[in-house]
Amino acid sequence: MTEPISRRGFLKAAILAPLIPSLLAACRRSSDEKVVNFFNWSNYIGKDTLPEFTKRTGVAVRYDLFADEDEMFTKLRAGARGYDLIVVGDYHIPRFRALNLIEPIPAAELKNRGNLGPRFRSPVYDPEETTVPYLWGTTGIAYNRKRIKKAPTSWRDLWDPQYKDRVSMLDNVRDCISVAMQLLNIPQTTRDPEDFKKIRELLVKQKPLVKQYSSASYLNSLVAGEIDLAMTWSGDLFQTARENPDLDYVIPKEGTYMWVDCLAMMRGARHRADTLRLIDYLLEPDVAAGIANSVRYATPNLAAQPKIDKELLNDPRVYPTPAVMKKLQLHHVLDSEQSELWSKTWADVKVA
Amino acid sequence: MSRALSWLLGGRTPLATHLLLAPASFWLLFLLVIPALGLIVLSFATNGPYGTIVWEFGFHNYARAFDPKYLPVLLRTFAFAAATTVLCLLIGYPVAYYLSFRAGRWRNIMLVGLMVPFWSSCLVAYYSWMIVLGKEGLINANLIRFGFLSEPIGFLYTPFAILLGLVYFYLPFAVLPLYASLDKVPRSVVEAAYDLGAGRWTAFRKVTLPLSLPGVVAACLLTFIPCLGDFLTVEILGGPRYYLLGNLISNQFMMAQDWPFGSALTSLLLAGLVGGLWLYQRWEKA
Repeated sequence: MTEPISRRGFLKAAILAPLIPSLLAACRRSSDEKVVNFFNWSNYIGKDTLPEFTKRTGVAVRYDLFADEDEMFTKLRAGARGYDLIVVGDYHIPRFRALNLIEPIPAAELKNRGNLGPRFRSPVYDPEETTVPYLWGTTGIAYNRKRIKKAPTSWRDLWDPQYKDRVSMLDNVRDCISVAMQLLNIPQTTRDPEDFKKIRELLVKQKPLVKQYSSASYLNSLVAGEIDLAMTWSGDLFQTARENPDLDYVIPKEGTYMWVDCLAMMRGARHRADTLRLIDYLLEPDVAAGIANSVRYATPNLAAQPKIDKELLNDPRVYPTPAVMKKLQLHHVLDSEQSELWSKTWADVKVA
Repeated sequence: MSRALSWLLGGRTPLATHLLLAPASFWLLFLLVIPALGLIVLSFATNGPYGTIVWEFGFHNYARAFDPKYLPVLLRTFAFAAATTVLCLLIGYPVAYYLSFRAGRWRNIMLVGLMVPFWSSCLVAYYSWMIVLGKEGLINANLIRFGFLSEPIGFLYTPFAILLGLVYFYLPFAVLPLYASLDKVPRSVVEAAYDLGAGRWTAFRKVTLPLSLPGVVAACLLTFIPCLGDFLTVEILGGPRYYLLGNLISNQFMMAQDWPFGSALTSLLLAGLVGGLWLYQRWEKA
């Protein structure tokens, strides 16, 4: 057992291991195969949703997960082939389109598209309806009721020095910069470098309080008491609160952002017909309600509403009251120049 | 068949030598040299809208890399890499010494034991460490149960956790070359030192240690260099204030979608490493 062999063997295994599934996939690749390759957020579907689809149609679903949308984007951009259906945040759609990663889903071929609520028809981020809304939610503040005496009410509370080392922020450009903009009263349409300097300063000022920038593992930290206050996505927190009932969710008084995660078809999807079948299936009221009841995000599917658990449907944290709804805004659709300013600013915050 | 094989293994003709080397050459060429060249080409390109790559070449990415705001990241990375290397040597040397001089028939089992952590991905190992170090983790829970603590200590997301993760992962990389070189120290030479009146300490200092120095150097290189590019450890065990070079680079590829700049940073790191090794070799020869 000499050193170079062990090390090389280890490296080889490390490099090859991730390739094995794709090699296997490559061997079996044929378009008449009854399968759909679906790439979705982790914890973002009902337990029976896909098995039920397979049982009903005989079409298998190869389900792959991501926990970070930038990572997902990087993977697809770097040429990960073979996915037919992906879930994309509303504000990412222009980016996917610019890089020619997705193709329009023909609305005419979906018989259940009409189940969607009016708010989700021809939205600003996708006026031609080339994607299909899947679930929506808000970005807000999670906190541990036992350990934070005074419930947070404002985004400012995430900057309160008494919570030093107990805060986590989503590791996400859009959410963090949007909140800084909201606090500074800067419109999302800005391109003024001075504005971005102020945003950077505000976020850097918060850094000594922040224990984690994280979009997934902070949920475990909340359960384990590693942190007590977190910027979070609504449904993720409601799922986590099943493990620790002391966790609660607040939509800050300044208002917040709502986002709509959409189903999008990959360009050149090999299993087109079955992908459309799956999308149509996901739009069925029972199926959509099943998903929403399980992941605790809000469904854009109006026809599914009667089948949503009453306790969820009446929970203003999940389906906000009309007054709060008015204060919810969609993320502005950024052009490429703005999106570069945003990510540069966020990168600078990380480095500082 | 066997004649062909012995011709090949004899390697007496250039063709046989090349054939023998072919698998390794292909491996290096396709998985190292070509990707590295691609990276270098990319580092001169321009980042276009939405992170597309525009093939307009220039030195702008390199100019950006020398922004002083990256200096603390660089220094922090060196500090963590150096501390990890020193700790790996301090812990690894005695282990390697024991394995080579004292372990006797247990040696092989212990060597396998040393490799066991490699059987699982370091991701799994780091998540296990989270369970051990967490506020409700193994250490805190027991310290509290036996009354040593009243409040849990936040081990996670501190420099301590990062260093622990790095040393944990890179220790075998230090131990194996140390063991290999200590094992090669001729026992007769050590015995000769005893015969000539040297005590254990003198014999170690004047004979064993100098003879194991190549192993020490190899151990340093095998821990220090990968540490410089490590990003997973900080991602999982470290907090936002301990951002290292590896995180800076991975962020360019993942979050910022600025591949040319990420490539420039990687090329600089590579150039620094190759340059450092080259200087070291010259110094060693001189």
